[in-house]
Amino acid sequence: MATTVLAPGATRTYRRSALYEWLTTTDHKKIGILYLTNSFLFFLLAGLLALVIRSELAVPGLQFVNSSTYNQLFTMHGTTMIFLVLMPFLAGLGNYAVPLQIGAADMAFPRINALSFWMLPLGGILMFSGFFFGGAAAEGWTSYSPLAQAKYSGSGTDLWIVALLLIGTSSILGSINFLATIFKLRAPGMTLLRMPVFVWTVMVTSLLILLATPVFTSGVFMLYIDRNFGGAFFDPASGGNPILWQNLFWFFGHPEVYILILPAMGVISEVVPVFSRKPIFGYKAFIFATLLIGGLGFSVWAHHMFTTGAVYLPFFSLTTSLIGVPTGIKFFNWIATMWRGKISFATPMLFAVGFLSTFLVGGLDGAILASPPVDFALHDTYWIVAHIHFVFFGGTMFGVFAAAYYWFPKMFGARLDEGLGKIHFVLMLIGTWVTFFPMHLLGLEGMPRRIADYSPAAGWTDLNTVETIGSFIIAISVLPFMWNVFVTLRGPRDAGDDPWDGYTLEWATTSPPPPYNFDHLPPIRSERPLFDLKYGHGARRALPSASVATTQEGAS
Amino acid sequence: MAGRAEALPAPGHGARQGIDTALVGMLLFIASEIMFFAGLFGAYFNIRAEHTVWPPQGFELDLGLAAVLTVILVSSSFTMQYAVSCIRKGDRTGMVRAMTVTVILGVIFLCGQLYDYASLGFGISSGVYGTLFFTMTGFHGAHVLGGVIGMSVVLLRGINGQFSARHHTAVEAVSIYWHFVDVVWIGLFSTLYLLR
Amino acid sequence: MQLSPRVRSVVTVAGLAGAVLLLGGCSALYPPNAASSQGADIRTLYSIFMVPMIAIFVLVEGLIVWSVLRYRRRKGDDELPVQTHGNNLLEITWTVLPTLLVLVLFFVSWQTLNKVDAEPANPAVTVDVTGFQWQWTFAYPQYNLSYTGIGDQGPVLVLPVDEVIHVRLHSNDVIHSFYVPDFLFKRDVIPGQVNNFDLNLKDAGVTYTGQCAQLCGMGHYQMRFTVQTMTPANFQAWVQAEQAKAKATPAPAAGGQAGPTLQLSASSTTSFDETSLSAPAGQPFTVQLTNKTAGAPHNFSIKDASGKVLFTGLPLAQPGQTVSYSVPALPAGTYTFFCSVHPTNMTGTLTVK
Repeated sequence: MATTVLAPGATRTYRRSALYEWLTTTDHKKIGILYLTNSFLFFLLAGLLALVIRSELAVPGLQFVNSSTYNQLFTMHGTTMIFLVLMPFLAGLGNYAVPLQIGAADMAFPRINALSFWMLPLGGILMFSGFFFGGAAAEGWTSYSPLAQAKYSGSGTDLWIVALLLIGTSSILGSINFLATIFKLRAPGMTLLRMPVFVWTVMVTSLLILLATPVFTSGVFMLYIDRNFGGAFFDPASGGNPILWQNLFWFFGHPEVYILILPAMGVISEVVPVFSRKPIFGYKAFIFATLLIGGLGFSVWAHHMFTTGAVYLPFFSLTTSLIGVPTGIKFFNWIATMWRGKISFATPMLFAVGFLSTFLVGGLDGAILASPPVDFALHDTYWIVAHIHFVFFGGTMFGVFAAAYYWFPKMFGARLDEGLGKIHFVLMLIGTWVTFFPMHLLGLEGMPRRIADYSPAAGWTDLNTVETIGSFIIAISVLPFMWNVFVTLRGPRDAGDDPWDGYTLEWATTSPPPPYNFDHLPPIRSERPLFDLKYGHGARRALPSASVATTQEGAS
Repeated sequence: MAGRAEALPAPGHGARQGIDTALVGMLLFIASEIMFFAGLFGAYFNIRAEHTVWPPQGFELDLGLAAVLTVILVSSSFTMQYAVSCIRKGDRTGMVRAMTVTVILGVIFLCGQLYDYASLGFGISSGVYGTLFFTMTGFHGAHVLGGVIGMSVVLLRGINGQFSARHHTAVEAVSIYWHFVDVVWIGLFSTLYLLR
Repeated sequence: MQLSPRVRSVVTVAGLAGAVLLLGGCSALYPPNAASSQGADIRTLYSIFMVPMIAIFVLVEGLIVWSVLRYRRRKGDDELPVQTHGNNLLEITWTVLPTLLVLVLFFVSWQTLNKVDAEPANPAVTVDVTGFQWQWTFAYPQYNLSYTGIGDQGPVLVLPVDEVIHVRLHSNDVIHSFYVPDFLFKRDVIPGQVNNFDLNLKDAGVTYTGQCAQLCGMGHYQMRFTVQTMTPANFQAWVQAEQAKAKATPAPAAGGQAGPTLQLSASSTTSFDETSLSAPAGQPFTVQLTNKTAGAPHNFSIKDASGKVLFTGLPLAQPGQTVSYSVPALPAGTYTFFCSVHPTNMTGTLTVK
């Protein structure tokens, strides 16, 4: 009954400073926003590294950096984007949205939640400090041994190892927290098969993190022992095996790819139905596909090792091919959700459509790479670079921005400006295609990845120049977004509780929600409790609710 | 509208029936620990499969000492379980006694392990076998140490009169962890000493 | 802005046609024609894969564009669309059809894999490729010939066409990858493990460039090599000429070193242990190079300020070896000494006075 007075802030007789409040918070919403802010800062940093990389490659010759620095740049770009940008972006979205979407007051272990977050900036600073202590790690984000052994690399690699141990622990603790929250703190009526798709994807992702990351942690410890205590795990000269590192790394590294894409798919599965004004098409099939991707994800790791001559190719080829099926199911479900809907193109939906049309290429690339002979030709070329960027940038980053525009009004009570949002979207879409699509062609022409320079005689100059231009378009596209956040936060907080006519529980509370989230909850009888509340449970063609319709912006 | 109060489970406490949230957390943590050790065991078997002579020449282990330590650690699991069954019945004194025995057995195991390390004729840097042996047993030892510390905290809380038949999640959690450490040792003992 | 249905369908058709043209008609989406029969098989396989991929791309992008254009919400339209939750028949269809497709593709690629990885019993020529930071050594054990790359273009691998070539890959230090884009093929070069593959080349008298495809340190980007093809007859003639040349080259003179001896050593592939040396002007001298590197050969060479190479020390000092180079007299001045195997990063200053 009188539940909100239990909120600690209400009983305080004095106010602590806002900074102290943010540094010590255990509120999942504030921690979520901390995650997102931290990820965005590292996104800018990793983006700067990418701009230096692209500038260096624009024309033949070493103009800006030498090859050692170049190797550090792409190593740090890759590691940062994966471990300090994409993963924490999704963890931040999960932190913010999951308790709200399942009608919980907070995460299961709020203090561990804060601990998980604070390990990230610490790890990031440690890793980047390598630049000031004789060079950062320079062996690529995959850090293959023997190159990563002490004999062939500098102390930046040790910082990289320690940082990844911190970040890995952070994600393991985070995944335990998500799973315990989802298993134990769902509101009455919120059965597993009524959970929003986003919650499902966070749950499967957490399972993947829980089971895959510790294997990576053990491998990273082994690398540390090799480098610092005279160990011989990956050193063939002392009886070790360099392929062992690749097995340990990719046993984690491939599930990691799904860790990075599944929650983004979850975001798309929230945004597309709401803006199409229809339920997600084939909810159960979607859940099934998510579980299948998660399960198959543990049996495909060696497709990163087709050219090592050390793995059984047909098995990993088959499992990798099969993973295309659940991904395909999702695509058809999204399209069928839009089909005969009434779609409004607010910025979240634009980014969702951008995700569909761009991630598609990354998915098809993956199906082609599942064939070992084709992989012999394309592996370690720019074709692979194209593939991962279509998946992670065209996929995950579009999903992250869709989520940012979608949940911003919930987080801050104000909607981001639509005009600036559309400029952001158009520039980012163009930039993505211009930067990453030509990489396919360069890969087919034989340009290997991770090279600081190429010969003018190779004929790769024109496409590289185009890509560099594209990368600057992407960089520029971020500026309207930052301006948008800045001006929106200075403006009135007038978005209302439910600006998008949403379906899920987060829109049933105030914007921003109070501490412990809910004053009361609507009854939960389907995966769209708020829709049921507004239009009636089981509505097929219900009458519009006038109060909601007035907050809607029509198609523009 | 649904009832208001029931929709507001307090964070960190099992608001719904079933296993306590903290225990769910511990079980999930154990799952991640299993995968951590799976990585180490995977490394061991991967490297072992690459060698025709295993263990390589000159790596002798002290099977007798390890067998004694195994008996000690396995018995400590039983004393731990006895402590849990005591507190489930509300017998705090029994729990404190059994837990004290468990802590002592854990410390004896650690001391025995250190003695073993000191008397072995090879180190972590003497080839891949030494690296594997010391890494695997070392990480296990670190987990034993963590368990001993965790048990000591629970023990002190027990001595201070905490825990009852209804409220003893920490005891349950630390016992799950201790059994896990024990099972890992049985795996290590079988792998390193018996399946040579 | 509202489009009339007619305009919209025109836009859709144009978009689809554009996509088809862009993807179907563009040869840039395909790898180059392969120089080897194995590469040709891979290219065929790639083309087979591209058919369903382009079809799916056009279909899905078309459906997205269509949905976006056709099902826009009109201003003021507050009525909900029909709330469709699913359709079992449709969902089963788009599960079963892709499954069949990927299974077919899997079997096709398995067939190609068996062809590409086949290793006939009696190859005509066996080549031992050794990768090290950041050059290659190509050795022909049958003919007792061996070539280590010098300079930034690396060594040349001479191969006959129309014959089975067996390649064995060795690494002395880190992982490399032997990659020739025109073969549509690469295989990793891994320390502690010998990888093999076979090759049947088609066109004689052609030069192909190759380079390392697996990050191997700061010199990775310039770990290049060249493949030169010959007819079998020309190849045999080349082998005999090279063998004769190897016999004619006198063994390096042991002892009899003139002038002072300078000590130089190399513990890594990134730099010499000493970065400056000095020698007397107008007098021959000897440089004793100790190679302490694990996997790479080194040598001692001299170039002047204009980059003209004045002296190239041969033979190379193999790992663990110490080799003495007798250097002819030089006029006073400042020169650059370098390792011919690692010319961009292993350099130092030689002061002659």
